[in-house]
Amino acid sequence: MREELARIELDFDRDLAEAAGDPDKVEALRVRVLGRRGTLTALMKGLGALPAEQRRDAGRWVNDLKQRVEERLAGAADLAARAARAAELRVGALDVTLPCRLPEVGSLHPVTHARRDLERIFLEMGYSVERGPEVEDDFHNFQALNLPPDHPARDAADTFYLEGGLLLRTHTSPVQIRTMTTRRPPIRMVCPGRVYRRDWDATHLPMFHQLEALVVDEHISIADLKGTMEAVWSRFFKTKITTRLRPGYFPFVEPGCEYDVSCPRCGGGGCRVCKQSGWLELGGAGMVHPAVFEACGVDPERWTGFAFGLGIDRIAMTRFGIEDLRLLMEGDARFLRQFPV
Amino acid sequence: MLVSVAWVREMCPCDATAGRIAEILTSRGLTVDTVIGDPSSAEAVLDVDVPANRPDCLGHRGIARELSAATGVPLARVPSPPAPAGGPVDQAVSVEIAAPEHCARYTARLVRGVRVGPSPPWVVRRLEDCGLRALDNVVDASNLVMLALGHPVHFFDLARLRGPRVIVRAARPGELLTTLDAVERKLDAADLVIADADRPLALAGVMGGADSEISIDTRDVLIEAAWFDPVTVRRTARRHGLHTDASHRFERGCDPEAPLAAQDLACRLLADLAGGVPAPGVLDVHPSPRRPRSLSLRMSRIARLLGYDPGASATESALSALALAPRRIDHDRFEVDVPSYRVDLETEADLVEEVARHIGYDQVPARVPAPTGSPASGTTHPLEERCRDLLAHAGFLEMFSYAMVAVGEDDPFVPPGTRAPLKLTNPIAEPLTCLRRSILPGPIAAAGLNARRAARSQRLFEVGRVFLPGENPGEFPEEVLRAGAVWGGPVRTPHWSEPHPPAVGFADLAGLVERALRGMVPGVDWTVRPHALPGLHPGRTAAWFGEHGDPLAWGGCLHPDLRARLEFADDLWLCEIDLDALARSTGASTAQTALPRVPAVVRDLSVVLAPDASFADLTATLERVPAPAPATFDAVDRYEGPPLGAGEAALTVRVCLQPLERSLEEDAIEGYRRGLIDALSSSGLGRLRA
Repeated sequence: MREELARIELDFDRDLAEAAGDPDKVEALRVRVLGRRGTLTALMKGLGALPAEQRRDAGRWVNDLKQRVEERLAGAADLAARAARAAELRVGALDVTLPCRLPEVGSLHPVTHARRDLERIFLEMGYSVERGPEVEDDFHNFQALNLPPDHPARDAADTFYLEGGLLLRTHTSPVQIRTMTTRRPPIRMVCPGRVYRRDWDATHLPMFHQLEALVVDEHISIADLKGTMEAVWSRFFKTKITTRLRPGYFPFVEPGCEYDVSCPRCGGGGCRVCKQSGWLELGGAGMVHPAVFEACGVDPERWTGFAFGLGIDRIAMTRFGIEDLRLLMEGDARFLRQFPV
Repeated sequence: MLVSVAWVREMCPCDATAGRIAEILTSRGLTVDTVIGDPSSAEAVLDVDVPANRPDCLGHRGIARELSAATGVPLARVPSPPAPAGGPVDQAVSVEIAAPEHCARYTARLVRGVRVGPSPPWVVRRLEDCGLRALDNVVDASNLVMLALGHPVHFFDLARLRGPRVIVRAARPGELLTTLDAVERKLDAADLVIADADRPLALAGVMGGADSEISIDTRDVLIEAAWFDPVTVRRTARRHGLHTDASHRFERGCDPEAPLAAQDLACRLLADLAGGVPAPGVLDVHPSPRRPRSLSLRMSRIARLLGYDPGASATESALSALALAPRRIDHDRFEVDVPSYRVDLETEADLVEEVARHIGYDQVPARVPAPTGSPASGTTHPLEERCRDLLAHAGFLEMFSYAMVAVGEDDPFVPPGTRAPLKLTNPIAEPLTCLRRSILPGPIAAAGLNARRAARSQRLFEVGRVFLPGENPGEFPEEVLRAGAVWGGPVRTPHWSEPHPPAVGFADLAGLVERALRGMVPGVDWTVRPHALPGLHPGRTAAWFGEHGDPLAWGGCLHPDLRARLEFADDLWLCEIDLDALARSTGASTAQTALPRVPAVVRDLSVVLAPDASFADLTATLERVPAPAPATFDAVDRYEGPPLGAGEAALTVRVCLQPLERSLEEDAIEGYRRGLIDALSSSGLGRLRA
């Protein structure tokens, strides 16, 4: 008996080694040994015919062998299945270096990007965002801003006039007037928007974008103007910015100034962006002129205010390194695509 | 204004270089745009941007005053006029101001015996430095006076004056005057002229006349130095399209006290350059002398506007340096006298600026004002930014175009009968003549540009305002916020996995529109109907009408004629969304609905639609059939062509019944299906497909 079992095990091990890796052969071997007519099955069936004293040992030997065979078969089947899956998986591997398929992604105009960043900064600082009409009347665009008819500073505005006497606003300042005439101070507002001037060359477009900030309260001074500009520009350019005020003339502010910010690229050392000066000229600023307050029915003895303005187009050009102004209005998809949403 | 550094340093004998002077002037609000020449020398020329409120700096003397205030170097004495001789001026000529509201002062002097000839080289050089061409010694003398003092003077040839007298009067309507530029001008009653006994000689403050011009034969020169009303000069200059060195200065406001100094300098130069001898006396008609102006300035106001207190002594020395003669009134208050040349100083705030300008803005500290309690809500458009995001996320590129279009450019995209666009009276270019009433011309033009630059796919959008004119001229137009998109070429970007995607079609465009509408106003409802616009293919255009019956959006395929004219190779699909109309829509609840507990029943109906019958007609008919559960209809397949008749379309309609609580009995489903078929056959919209 023991000899026969040893022979069966020997044959089984030999056959298993042969079948290794092929799930079908492993299954066939299982049937040969453990199937209904399998060699081991036959031996187990024959156990009953043995004398009782032999039966106990023989049963133990056969069962031990059966257990070993089953374990080895299971292991071999598992190995074979894994080998087969591995062979399967070796087929159809992808070339992952091929260009991907992007979802269709559009873009926002660089001026929109810059305007939104600025609006967000001001909103976080407690300002409201206001808008007003692009077609304006003389009162809001000029007279209320201390630019009476025949004022020589109107020359600088290069105004587009419409048949019937209205005009295209030359700045966003009329929105300040509209806000101050409808809302009592304190006021903290910005007004971004399109403005129009009759000027068209390499550095001017007849339509561009401005943003003005206006703060009116009981104790507002140029110091607040300076600090606010530094806070806004530091957040916008994500680097510490200092501002420089130079006296400048805008009829609706007094004192009035032009302001520069330290170059966000070089920090003031001089580079291509700031034309080696260390400073970027960004716009005009000043304290709201008493005549403007009076035109809006605001008491200039009680309230003071500052305003400053900037050209969003220029800011966007600085931020994105755009050198040719015309690109902003041309609509060339190769340009626009560079500012994904 | 071009400023000769050498000349300024004669007037204010400091030792600053041109570069240093440029820095000083810029820091005081007289921005030097460029230094022409060597900045380390005293010979350069500065291009100074003189602001409109500082006419006193439109002459070298004014620039020198600023330099003197900054450096503390006193101004040099002005050269004295030569000794007069001969008969006095008042025996040779008379002066009358007949329009005192336009001319507050008129002075005249007579210089006899000039010899007209070329100027010496230093004069030629000085004029050239300042951007003027030398002509002859007499004309050059008048230009030198203007450049030195910022006050224009005019020279008449006395021999040409009839009377001889000078009358400052309003022009007679229709009167003719040939100005120095050889243009014959028809005058208006609002023009101010200098006339003699018979005729106008000059447009006051703007330009002289050819008749009384200095010529080679001129011997006796009558010098005019006057003060003309700025508005009068400005209007006359504009009316005649003349902008001269003289009008530029007068319209900004000249110094009413300058005419006598100008006379003295003119006499000196005519003597030195042309050998003239001044006649004794000055005619000075001065009907309304300037009243001296005093202003008061509170230290507390300075501190309030600047945010810091510069101190009384710094304030006082700033005011003194600026020749404002400050007097301390009390602990808070100064009183100052405004010099006649500082026409810009009118209020206390102006004085605060003078102090800040002199001390320097760099002294001002920086701080951030505390926020107020609750920020105001603002007046931005509720949908504007959302619309940009939706269209950009749908794969479209945001572009900007001008709000002005060429005449007729937007006609194809507005309904016929729309009011004519608002026109600019002074357009800068023919393509930018009137205000757009549709946003589409800009994106279409950009698509054209991209197509010419070999782009196969067009996906652009713009969000901006259009301008719908009111009924009456001069009325504010309605400014409506619109979004416009153009879409052409393959519907998806070609990729190695799909090299030839299908071309964009109406369903794609409609999908874009509907996604944008619902994305902006969740649950908003509409009706789609064909909607003709002249610029769109008449069979491929639709509008989405909102709850109030006004269109929320419209769009379609660019009309083949227009497409040919604009040279597009492929179809271009366009849509325009009215964000104002959409903002007036209420939308619907976005609350979640309960999920059904039983499965839906789906049945397909194959229908042949009759010509001109639409899917909407069909679903409207089917919706009227009583359903055993809530029913929805979808189109899942469509076919046109043989063996169907012309205009017919085979359509597979998928009917979905979604019971809420209990499953449907087969009988009920079959009964409903028969009901649908009956409704179809009695509607005349089509038949069931065999």
